[in-house]
Amino acid sequence: MADTETYARTDQDILAAMGKPGRAYLAGLLGTASLAVIGGLLWAYQIRNGLGVAGYTHPVNWAVYITNFVFWVGIAHSGTLISAVLYLFHARYRTSFNRAAEAMTVFALMVAGLFPLIHLGRSWVFYYLIPYPNQRLLWVNFRSPLIWDVFAVSTYFTVSAVFFYVGMIPDFAVARRLKEGVRKRIYSLLSLGWKGTEREWRHYNKLYLFLAAFATPLVASVHSVVSWDFAMSIVPGWHTTIFAPYFVAGAILSGTAMVITLVVPMRKALNLYSYITDDHFESIAKILLFTSLIVTYSYVVEFGLAWYSGNFVEMESFRYRAFGDYRYLTWTMFFCNSLVPLALFARRLRRNTAVLLAVSLLVNVGMWLERFVIIVTSLAHDFDPYVWGSTTVYTPTYVEVGISLGSFGLFFMLYLIFLKTLPVLSITEIKEHL
Amino acid sequence: MTGEPLIFDDKEEFLENLRRLVREGVPRDSIRTITPFAVPEVNEILPRIRSKVRFFALIGAASGTATGFALTILTSLSWPLIVGGKPIVSIPPFIIIAFALTILFGSLSAFLGFLLLARLPSIRSIRSEGEYGNAFVILVEEGRR
Repeated sequence: MADTETYARTDQDILAAMGKPGRAYLAGLLGTASLAVIGGLLWAYQIRNGLGVAGYTHPVNWAVYITNFVFWVGIAHSGTLISAVLYLFHARYRTSFNRAAEAMTVFALMVAGLFPLIHLGRSWVFYYLIPYPNQRLLWVNFRSPLIWDVFAVSTYFTVSAVFFYVGMIPDFAVARRLKEGVRKRIYSLLSLGWKGTEREWRHYNKLYLFLAAFATPLVASVHSVVSWDFAMSIVPGWHTTIFAPYFVAGAILSGTAMVITLVVPMRKALNLYSYITDDHFESIAKILLFTSLIVTYSYVVEFGLAWYSGNFVEMESFRYRAFGDYRYLTWTMFFCNSLVPLALFARRLRRNTAVLLAVSLLVNVGMWLERFVIIVTSLAHDFDPYVWGSTTVYTPTYVEVGISLGSFGLFFMLYLIFLKTLPVLSITEIKEHL
Repeated sequence: MTGEPLIFDDKEEFLENLRRLVREGVPRDSIRTITPFAVPEVNEILPRIRSKVRFFALIGAASGTATGFALTILTSLSWPLIVGGKPIVSIPPFIIIAFALTILFGSLSAFLGFLLLARLPSIRSIRSEGEYGNAFVILVEEGRR
């Protein structure tokens, strides 16, 4: 049975992560911040010179930026799955990952939200997407999937941010107790004066349950809405009914991979071996494996539907995807998302964090490629056979590549800042289970 | 006014004492507890009215649904423009907006409800610590023991 001493040690262990940063941390922060700044400068360059600096060639006018948008929104999903859905299912291993996963959700959505603006070209008119009565009394077109996106993603961001914050309120009270100076004052404010009375806990538990219940349908709905950006059009390769579940499964696969990518080094760097165990990693590896199988099934169904339809346009679109100009990317995607995760059927490999990290990194690559392949190959081979030749193949320019790398820089920079400023594990929940 | 706090290091000891106080006939509504984490047994020993956060969640969610449909339908009717051959009031796409606002308003309203019911933020507690650390504490209102 745990006593106050054990609890105090838990407080110390977890808050130790928020101590003075070491050299490796600062180097990481500098590296990621530099990438983010380079991305920002390239965006400024694009605003100055126009979208011509991106590699768009007719008819490929959605490409890397939209790929990044879909990728980052997808990354966010597994955060909600881990924090909300596993909470409702009372999965104990959730406490090892939920804070990191929630932070990941919020940061991934912040990064994702930038890409529609970058892709707009004239980013400063983004507010046209917001419903407000303009001078000509025109309102937005609520039948457009792009408007659904605005509502789905902004709701998702707000709810995830509230969920993230609410989960930390009792932990801020712990941080306040153990920190000094300005930090103490900031944590006092953030804790809202939390004392831990039975009244606070009673309402808090109810609120947490409701937030989990509200966030759970978002796991399915947000990426479905994102998939409809494509599926509602009539482009062969996009116009299919399986897109919503296919995208949701892909989102959870990529998000789980990203959680593993973040938590494996975090556990090592912050020495959290007693709180995040190999058993916990094994459980999350099973989610990765399971969603990988669903994604593989979706690939088979996608190609199967094209073949079974007997529609030559549809069949040609998928032949192009597998054997056309982008074939290497397509086969890399199959390799990373369908083949590599099969290694996790072996229990020994599931419990080996180095293997797990390698698999998750490859899945991240594979899932980024999946979005690219879906978006670009479908457009490159649509209704204009004149441009089907390989001379007009779309390739990203250095501006697009730089902005994409910048988004990774921004995401990891935010995550590194999170590690030093907020409790990286849910202290009160861990104590509850001691 | 509250009397001297009873402070325990161990959860079981704390719960035992809480049960004892109730057995001794101390009115339940005069007992307050402070714990380092949620202890579900406290709710069993000191049954209180169920949290009203659920009403806030329900009212918020319902108003979100209503706002979603009102916003989409009324704005479409205010400038009836046929787009893509679809009806002016196209319910299926409007459901998506209403759904998003249901979740948004429900969550925000539940959060506000929590702040109101738990009486947070508490300026007094933000300013002065008055912490019991990781101890389990029972406070009994003076004169009712």
